[in-house]
Amino acid sequence: MAKNLSGDLQVASANRLSDGVVVWLDDAGDWTVRLDRAAVARDRRAGEILLLRAQAEAFAVIDPFLVAVAEDNDGTIEPLSLREKIRASGLTFDVIAADAVRYA
Amino acid sequence: MPLYREEAATGHIVEDPWLRLADDAAVPADGMVLVSFARWRGARAVLLARRGPVGVALANADPVEALAADLPRLDLVALHFPKFSDGRAYSQARLLRGRYGYQGELRATGGVLQDQIPFMLRCGFDSFESEQKGFGEALAKARTLFSVVYQPTEDGRAPASLLRLKRRNAVVS
Amino acid sequence: MPDTYFYRYDDYDRTLVAERVEQFRHQVRRRLAGELTEEQFKPLRLTNGLYLQLHAYMLRIAIPYGTLSSRQLRKLADISRKYDRGYGHFTTRQNLQLNWIRLEDAPDALAELAEVDMHALQTSGNCIRNVTADHFAGAAADEIEDPRIWAEIVRQWSTLHPEFTFLPRKFKIAITGSPNDRAAVRVHDIGLRLWRNAEGEAGFEVIVGGGLGRTPMIGKTLREFLPKNELLAYLEATLRVYNRYGRRDNLYKARIKILVHEVGVEKMRADVEAEYAETRDGLLGLSDETIEAITRQFAPPPLPHRSAIVPQVERQKFEDAAFALWLKSNTAPHRMAGYRIVTASLKPAGAPPGDASAVQMEGVADVADAYSQGELRVSHEQNLIFPHVAVEDLPAVYAALGRLGFAEANVGKVTDIIACPGLDYCALANARSIPVAQRISNHFANLARQHDIGDLKIKISGCINACGHHHVGHIGILGVDKNGVELYQVSLGGDVDFGKTALGTILGPAVAGDKVVEAVDSLVATYLDSRAEGERFVDTYRRIGAEPFKDRMYAAV
Repeated sequence: MAKNLSGDLQVASANRLSDGVVVWLDDAGDWTVRLDRAAVARDRRAGEILLLRAQAEAFAVIDPFLVAVAEDNDGTIEPLSLREKIRASGLTFDVIAADAVRYA
Repeated sequence: MPLYREEAATGHIVEDPWLRLADDAAVPADGMVLVSFARWRGARAVLLARRGPVGVALANADPVEALAADLPRLDLVALHFPKFSDGRAYSQARLLRGRYGYQGELRATGGVLQDQIPFMLRCGFDSFESEQKGFGEALAKARTLFSVVYQPTEDGRAPASLLRLKRRNAVVS
Repeated sequence: MPDTYFYRYDDYDRTLVAERVEQFRHQVRRRLAGELTEEQFKPLRLTNGLYLQLHAYMLRIAIPYGTLSSRQLRKLADISRKYDRGYGHFTTRQNLQLNWIRLEDAPDALAELAEVDMHALQTSGNCIRNVTADHFAGAAADEIEDPRIWAEIVRQWSTLHPEFTFLPRKFKIAITGSPNDRAAVRVHDIGLRLWRNAEGEAGFEVIVGGGLGRTPMIGKTLREFLPKNELLAYLEATLRVYNRYGRRDNLYKARIKILVHEVGVEKMRADVEAEYAETRDGLLGLSDETIEAITRQFAPPPLPHRSAIVPQVERQKFEDAAFALWLKSNTAPHRMAGYRIVTASLKPAGAPPGDASAVQMEGVADVADAYSQGELRVSHEQNLIFPHVAVEDLPAVYAALGRLGFAEANVGKVTDIIACPGLDYCALANARSIPVAQRISNHFANLARQHDIGDLKIKISGCINACGHHHVGHIGILGVDKNGVELYQVSLGGDVDFGKTALGTILGPAVAGDKVVEAVDSLVATYLDSRAEGERFVDTYRRIGAEPFKDRMYAAV
């Protein structure tokens, strides 16, 4: 799948204040846990506006910031940096299950 | 900027009777005058010779030792928190109160927030300049937050170790 | 019979913890209501152990001097289930981390912790942190005095200290009561080493300005011999000098080690001694009575005499090779002949190092109750320790730990890896460390091979902050980010054992993540080919130097 890797695409993200969960700003200006619902800014100016919107909605989150993303032909968004990929998708290994007597 | 003192009756806000004198302004003949450390060093004799009370405002890197000899003649020392997270003035306060026996008003200025009041009180501050909403109410309650302390400071509170000693000896006797 | 053989909270301790929980509850409420900004709130939550990571808040629960009771461990299991995802991570500072805590739950979690005299006081923030101590304290044969007595005295003095809650940076203290320093005192802001002078008096060597991170440094002796009852007066003097003169202009130059480096240890000593001359006659002198009262609380459990040689154990040693290896690597000499100190390895092959599920924690607590006086220790190498196990109970302990997956005979061996949480969890990291540890662990899983390789400490950090202590690993691995790609810098020859402190030397350019296993394998191969009789990995390195290792490693990657 061809990916838009120009770095012009950005979404706004933060951690939710009440529980620390990773959230993304959607088109309605609400914070969602779903990256696929994030509002995408398609150029620098739109990115600046997106960040301002995020900061205006910052009451329930901590320090919103912009994340550079790539978009493939299906419209699937993925962060460019490894840190943000991990932030979006979680741990890259299996943790021990809560009631496990041993690691798998 | 609201000034708070614990013993003030209404919301603990008091009028500030002190004039903060700019470094290049003339020293008035009387009245309560608060000068910077630099001004103090340059005009000490003049300031002490006049009728009115004098106070010194220290930056948090200024050496409190330099004020030690004159403390009995100062009615106000103002210490500064450039950011609330810069804790140097806590050490300055303790040295002034403890080592150098300062008994005048010790004022906290700059980044002064209610969650640090218990620490400030223990270090010897007794007046506070703060713009934070709810500061007065917090000051009213600050001494009730911690009934146990682990370390001695100049506030005279008995630390837990001393109370334990007393309790053990009381039982024995 | 006391509940525990270490410090027992009285009403004063409990009240203080409870009042801080209450204060924090109000602070959280105000933050959630928007009455406090994040900037104002951050130090308030950090000094109560609540840290924001990539995915969630992390709660770092204090385990003072790495000592806890089975009851406390069960509560940690409980808390992990109730407020988190049912597992926890034991850290290189003897604490426990829970990684998925909600801010709104934190006050309740802390209130429950307080029920068993636990807390998260000052486990983060620019204040004095958890005081760590020798994880074999009170059990080791080579001990002059139990360092935890002093760790407790320092803990109380440093808790909610009004003058030292906004230091230039964090402040870490470690204490050893043994000449074989197992607490790494020379890489702490202050290290305290108990020793006896010619007159037979015990006192402290005070070491200042050690630390890892961006600018690793080995601490320097500030005071050769400090009488014990002057400890707090001296520490107060040192912290005051640091609070007044430590740099505040640059986050990366704010530790006390930088101050010592910049002014020189002579000037530092002069300033501290001048301040100490004033503090020593004040309120901080420790009376013999106060010291005695705390010392009594660490009185060792009454251990009945047991046989050092037990036929059943000898037989099992002979018949069960894995058990024999486990005895060798996972047990250590106790001061009493019929006992051993047992380490539960939290490094099963392929597992994230230092993690335990709630069920495992409970299982370990049961073993402690049955076989170790209900007491456990956490080592700075992310393992759990049973300090007092009778030799005749070793087979039962081995079996019980085996059921929990904690009986891998790898303590001190190549798969006993120390790793920070890394980029999987931590917002500061540049690269992941746990998956690297897992791959190395799987590669070297064979026990016989591990024992042939012998003592080899691999320490992995995901960034320059060095929470994995890579600078003092025999093999140190530092994750770096180059143009978005994870690379790993390899260093050799670090050490922090047996009284020796050394910082590792970087071998050369960082290697790719998928080549780290080959890199480590080639280093091990170089050692195996070059070693002289009785030499450990790090001994061979010291003898033959970096070149042979370097050449072979870069040929392999």
